[in-house]
Amino acid sequence: MWNGEKSIILTKLCIVIFMGLLLAVVVSAPWLTDWFTDVSQAGQGENRAYFMATIYVGFVPAAYLLYSLFKLLRRIETGQVFTAENVELLRRISWTCFAGAAVALISLFYYTPWAFVAIAAAFMGLIVRVVKNVVAQAVELKNEADYIV
Amino acid sequence: MPIVVNLDVVMAKRKMSSGELAEKIDITQSNLSILKTGKAKAIRFSTLEAICKTLDCQPGDILEYRPDDGE
Repeated sequence: MWNGEKSIILTKLCIVIFMGLLLAVVVSAPWLTDWFTDVSQAGQGENRAYFMATIYVGFVPAAYLLYSLFKLLRRIETGQVFTAENVELLRRISWTCFAGAAVALISLFYYTPWAFVAIAAAFMGLIVRVVKNVVAQAVELKNEADYIV
Repeated sequence: MPIVVNLDVVMAKRKMSSGELAEKIDITQSNLSILKTGKAKAIRFSTLEAICKTLDCQPGDILEYRPDDGE
């Protein structure tokens, strides 16, 4: 029977898979960029170093985001849902999305399709920020409710 | 907060322990402690009614308005 506990396990598994994919991308970045610049029809061969720089710099916010998500899930798993710590984690996740968007935005100077990544990351950051605001209000309401006898 | 809870005074007059009162009014001891220590932000009418019934007193015996020094 499907329940909340299994749902959290599935989400954690997805995060682990994404962590694995992220590591694989970073480790194989030299080959990946070689392959991409070879197959790319836009003639990106001269930008190989820039692509690698984007991958390595982008790794930092991406890894931190996945780590924060995992930490958030572990807290939810232990019943700590509407807490100030979770609000802080959501705030960090949101800013990490914006940091990823900034990396993609800077990378526009050599490859314009990065714009899609920048917009997607910024949009995600915005959604997480709204969720953070909702959870912050929920924390306040919970604190009030805890002191109603 | 200018609202002071005098529950411990009334309880002492009635010689009733926290555990006994909590059991009679059907709230947890930790919630009763929140009320007694003045940490509570609100009290339900149902809780107030149960306290008054059990301790045979009026709401005014339990709650008191004491203005802050600055007011």
